[in-house]
Amino acid sequence: MNNTMVIMRKELLDIRRNRFLFLLLSFILVAVLVSILVSALDFRVKIDAFNKYAAALHQAGSTVVPAPPQLFPLQLLRGSMEYLEILGALFAIVLGYGMIAKEKQRATLGLIFTRPVGRYQLARGKLFALAITWMVAVLTIFLVIAVVVAVVGSSPLHLIDAYRLLISAVIAWAYLFLWSALAMGMASFTRQLGISLVVSIVLWLSVVLILPQIGDTMDPDNQVPGGLFFSLQISKKNEQAVLANFATFEKVRNGIEVSSITKHYERSTFAYLGIKDKFNQKPIGYAFKGTLPNLLSLFFASCGVIFFALLSTTRKKLLRR
Amino acid sequence: MSIAIVAARQEIQSLRREKLAQALLVVFVAMVSLSSFIGWLTNKNVTSIYRRVKDQGLTTAANPFDNVPALYYLRNTVIYLVLVGALLAIVLGVASIIRDRKAHTVDLVLVRPVDARIYLLGKVAGVATWLAMILAFVSVISWSSIAFIIGKPLTGADTVRLILFFTMSLFFLMGFVLLGMICAIYSSRETSALLLPVAIWSVITFVLPQLGTADHPVSLLNPVPAIANHGGVFSTLNSIFNPFSITEQFKKVSSWILGNTDFVGNPSIGLIILALVLLVGSFALLATKRDRLRREMYE
Repeated sequence: MNNTMVIMRKELLDIRRNRFLFLLLSFILVAVLVSILVSALDFRVKIDAFNKYAAALHQAGSTVVPAPPQLFPLQLLRGSMEYLEILGALFAIVLGYGMIAKEKQRATLGLIFTRPVGRYQLARGKLFALAITWMVAVLTIFLVIAVVVAVVGSSPLHLIDAYRLLISAVIAWAYLFLWSALAMGMASFTRQLGISLVVSIVLWLSVVLILPQIGDTMDPDNQVPGGLFFSLQISKKNEQAVLANFATFEKVRNGIEVSSITKHYERSTFAYLGIKDKFNQKPIGYAFKGTLPNLLSLFFASCGVIFFALLSTTRKKLLRR
Repeated sequence: MSIAIVAARQEIQSLRREKLAQALLVVFVAMVSLSSFIGWLTNKNVTSIYRRVKDQGLTTAANPFDNVPALYYLRNTVIYLVLVGALLAIVLGVASIIRDRKAHTVDLVLVRPVDARIYLLGKVAGVATWLAMILAFVSVISWSSIAFIIGKPLTGADTVRLILFFTMSLFFLMGFVLLGMICAIYSSRETSALLLPVAIWSVITFVLPQLGTADHPVSLLNPVPAIANHGGVFSTLNSIFNPFSITEQFKKVSSWILGNTDFVGNPSIGLIILALVLLVGSFALLATKRDRLRREMYE
């Protein structure tokens, strides 16, 4: 068997035996499920409120029939996608860091490199193992999501919904794999393990939480509860016309947001799942067209990170004192 | 010199060398320093938008940002305390225990007639002093940047509010320090010692508020609260989970101290909850058995 495959199989075995990682993945799954149930309950409350409002109108003799709130089951997944982007990325760092940390701590690298292991075989084996682990984890999460959404949405998912979920799962897989590969590359690149963990966690904090938070905070519409333009009673059309005069500020704000890879993941999954109203019930091609820059950014960032992990996880880097 | 003072001094000296704590400290100070500027820039932009809307006759509503209090510019700092500050506090707490367990200095200390509670109290005092110094530095930066933005020094009342806010922040962060210390004492591995409190932090910051209000996780990072659902089952869920949403309680109390106009409700509940967290955390830490501190650490 090829060395890459041997390393990959050994890593997969280690991951399977790691109860702590299993607990972390279960934690994400529980958070994702809780979020779906809360969203479903939220919708039920809205329906109840609507029914009361409609009954009051009817009693008052009004002939106006207001439009009831509509349930789009995949929109229930907003919180779940956000949990994957925040907690998933953090746990992905732990997984990637652990790949190298365990070898350095147990001093097994010297032993591995006494054998004729090719320059990139160790890195390839570990990256393949990470890719497979995340594929299994993400597929499990999305499979459970599909079942729960179908149950709480009280309607079977259509084929198109299954495609939307599958595409979102692929995007989530790429995003989580990217964080694991980055942490693995960092752990190999730095002489001291502690520093690599520091850099990875600071990167997670800045990219996942701080940059999107700054962009979100600078959004004029996020300055007042319910939205600035809603509070000023301005229509969507007028809002866009007004904002056109503040293009520079918007460009800077958007620039801050898109400097975070998390935002690319979020925008893509929100588009395919129809969470963003603009893409809701629109064909997949429309979402693809609208999020092509986000998908390309995610793709090139993943390629860059994998390249970094491959180049840093070499005998020369790993065995230096 | 008393054992507690020696432990506190040793803690401060060690924290100065802690790399992860230093990195998070840099991010924290940078973000807090930037937050006033971000608030000012956004406020300026929104005011310009409002003027244009008004000039075009599209609204008759009043400018929602007329007469905002000077301390309004601190509202992003509240979020950075919840995000970066709490994580920094956890790392400080975990590092404080792990360092001694890994190096076996705790074994050496405890072979002498030292009360484990006094030793732990000394450590808590050391971390608290370190955090107090950071927050004092951050409060000077905040005071200066707000004075620069509004073009005059803050009034005496606002300065008192600012000091109160950072004092309350110290108590809030100490809750996470205690959480980090407790997790580090009861974990047998370094990775789980760090990840367990982070997982608890994520539950407190995202999951519990979501259960009570149906707010989405990312919207909880916005200083302006989303219009949350308090109807139907959520009123019950909110009354169950709200007391445990410590970060939300901190946001509310901060909003009250800073004089934000969007604050509604009674701040005393939040203050009591924050005090209770400290009390329960201290009690749990001081109840640690001597042998528990000397357990072997793996990894």
